[in-house]
Amino acid sequence: MDDMEDTTIFSTLKSFKSLISGPDHSLLETEPAYGRSDLQKLYTKRVELEEAAERVRSHTSLLQLTQEKQQMELSHKRARIELEKEAHSSSRDLQREIDRNRELLLKIRRLEEREEKANQALNEQMENNKALKRNLEELHKKANVKDSKLTEADQMISELKDETRRLNQKIQIQESKFSTQNLEIQALQEQLDVQRKKYQDVSQRYQNLQSSHSISTESELKMKELERRLALQEQDSVIVKNMKSEMVRLPELEREIKRLREENCFLRETKENNSLLKEETEGLRKKLERVERVMEEKLKAELEKEKLEQELQAWENIGQAAGLNIRKPEDLSREVIQIQQRELNLKQQNYTLNSRLKQMLLRVAAENKKNEQQQKLEMLLDSRRERDGMRAILESYDSELATSEYSPQLMFRVKEAEDMLQKVQAHNTEMETQLSKAQEEAGSFKLQVQMVKMTLYLYTCMCLFFRQKIEELEAERQRLEEQNNILEMRLERHNLQGDYDPVKTKVIHLQMNPTSIAKQQHAEEVEQLRLECQLLRDRIRKIEAGGGVTKDDTTLIIPPSQEILDLRKQMESAELKNQRLKEVFQKKIQEFRTACYVLTGYQIDITVENQYRLTSVYAEHMEDSLLFKSTGPVGSGSMQLLETDFSRTLTGLVDLHLFHQKSIPVFLSAVTIELFSRQTVT
Amino acid sequence: MSKTLKGITLKGSAELVAEFFSFGINSILYQRGIYPAETFTRVTQYDMSLQLTTDAKLKNYLTNVISQLKEWLFDCTVQKLVVVITCLETNEVLERWQFDLECDKTFFLPDQCKYESIQEEIRSVIRQITATVTFLPLLETACAFDLLIYTDKDLEVPEQWEESGPQLIDQSEEVRLRSFTTTIHKVNSMVAYKRTNST
Repeated sequence: MDDMEDTTIFSTLKSFKSLISGPDHSLLETEPAYGRSDLQKLYTKRVELEEAAERVRSHTSLLQLTQEKQQMELSHKRARIELEKEAHSSSRDLQREIDRNRELLLKIRRLEEREEKANQALNEQMENNKALKRNLEELHKKANVKDSKLTEADQMISELKDETRRLNQKIQIQESKFSTQNLEIQALQEQLDVQRKKYQDVSQRYQNLQSSHSISTESELKMKELERRLALQEQDSVIVKNMKSEMVRLPELEREIKRLREENCFLRETKENNSLLKEETEGLRKKLERVERVMEEKLKAELEKEKLEQELQAWENIGQAAGLNIRKPEDLSREVIQIQQRELNLKQQNYTLNSRLKQMLLRVAAENKKNEQQQKLEMLLDSRRERDGMRAILESYDSELATSEYSPQLMFRVKEAEDMLQKVQAHNTEMETQLSKAQEEAGSFKLQVQMVKMTLYLYTCMCLFFRQKIEELEAERQRLEEQNNILEMRLERHNLQGDYDPVKTKVIHLQMNPTSIAKQQHAEEVEQLRLECQLLRDRIRKIEAGGGVTKDDTTLIIPPSQEILDLRKQMESAELKNQRLKEVFQKKIQEFRTACYVLTGYQIDITVENQYRLTSVYAEHMEDSLLFKSTGPVGSGSMQLLETDFSRTLTGLVDLHLFHQKSIPVFLSAVTIELFSRQTVT
Repeated sequence: MSKTLKGITLKGSAELVAEFFSFGINSILYQRGIYPAETFTRVTQYDMSLQLTTDAKLKNYLTNVISQLKEWLFDCTVQKLVVVITCLETNEVLERWQFDLECDKTFFLPDQCKYESIQEEIRSVIRQITATVTFLPLLETACAFDLLIYTDKDLEVPEQWEESGPQLIDQSEEVRLRSFTTTIHKVNSMVAYKRTNST
């Protein structure tokens, strides 16, 4: 890096040198064009020499400066190296010191621990000492106590010895007493023996007495007993006598007993039989009741059967009577249907007949009317004829009367005629009555026919109605059956799927079941992963933003490798070097620029690439500046003046020095002189 | 066991049915892959080799449920036992193995020992459960199972139990499996699974 910087510095210096030396070459090249006079030549040569000397001087100064600069750099480098070495060594020393420090600290700690232990041991020893002292004291106390006790015991012993002496004396006295008493005892014992003997005698006598007493009492008792026995025996004899009389009856009694026993057995058996029979009778009674019920039912059933048979017979008879082939109800229904059809036919016929009847009646009525009319007419005619006849007869009779008196014959004929008339009238009335009767019968027949029609109509209506109902019910039944099937299938399906009736069943499971545990674990895992994601995202964001090693929770857990640390150190050192070189460069440039400004009188600024702005130290205004542009390849030093406001004011100098003399330094110095003169004048 | 008795008692029948459920549920868990296959060990029962879990927590849970179920079988208060298989991610019910129980309280002791025939029936039911794997849809996501018991409404719910919903499947296909009977208890088996959209 130093080399790089050195090269850059050198390159800039070279460019400066070339810049500075550039116009020299150009001037030197354009020199021989001007050959006016020797003085001028001398002057010009002098000026040139001076300029050259100046140049050389400046060059040398530059070289010196560069050398100084290089030396300074070298010294800097050396100083830096030395400083670094020192830093390294100091760091090493520091490390060593740190290690030593650590070791010393460890030692101190160990020593402290040892001290502590020693202290503890000391304390323990002290405590042991104390304890031992205490024990000693206690033992001393115990010894004292024991001594006191010993003295006491000695005292006690002495006292006891005195007592023993006394007691011994007492014993002796007692022994003497004892011996005397023994003698007395012996004497008494002899007396006792004597007394005993006496006692024994007396006791024997007493015993004898007692025995005799007892014997006497026993004999008395015996006597009493014997007397009692005697009495008893007398009673017994009496009893025996009685018993004998009774004994005679004994076999009879025995026989009676046997008989009674047999009767007893027999009665017991009969009792058992009775109970059995009672049970049997109960059972039979119940059976009887049942049988009677059954009989009644049988009768009823028979009656019903008879009725049904009759009905059946009736039905069969109907069939037979009707002359039909009836064996099954289907036949009957068929017949009924046929009959109904026949009925319909008959109805139709009836209707037709009725219509015909009506027609007939009308005709009859008409005919009757006609007949009546005819009859009337006939009657009239008859009556007329009769009248005429009668008239004729009467006339004849009148004529005859005129001649003879045929009045009885006339009367007779009149009577006959009247009889005839009456007969005819009676006949007429009879015919009329018969006609009315016939009419009445016809009316009644009509009524009957109408009744029959009505009943038939009603029956057919009912039949149709019932048939309709039957069809509807059949259709509903089928529909309901289908619904039932569908519902059953649905129910089966639901049962397979696991449905249940909440009223009768409930579903339970363990609270800690594998599914709930797995769901919990899953949720926890997801939460953990989310947190990790968040952390990683934060870390990535910080790394992208920071760019370097961040010292907080988001740092990578991977320990940085040695290479990375070395590279980081190198980077830091390089950056430091860069910074230092930049500072130095800046300083040097600033120095150089100020030197140029001071020495040449112009401040040279690079405004744009290849453009240089020169501001004179004696400029009247801040904006007065000359712009030069570098033409040609970089480093060749060929410059051109660009137009500015200030340069327009210096057109004379520009023409003279640049166009004719083609020397920029001359121009610049002329400008300086001009401005200086302006300033000093003003 | 009831093998040595002349006939089947209510207690023996309850024990038989509870034992069947214990092995049946283990078979279902193994066949459907609810728990990894390496946590199961092979045992011999009903003259065939069945898989039984070795996971301690699962064993504990199953013993709790089966012992309680045995009591209820003895009292004839249980109507159904359902194994519900739920997908963990979507919380959807994917499969339902339902066992209907019919208890005949008016039983009479039969003369002959029918243990062999009952064993044969149980064998066929378990074989059928294994065979259903061929047509049931694959359980691709992580699943968990739960045991539901349908009981009479007036039954006293013990401490660690709670009421729950029936956990029915939305759009299901049902298949009825074989049943077996001990003359006192009759067990009907069926499986319902979620219809897969065959695209």
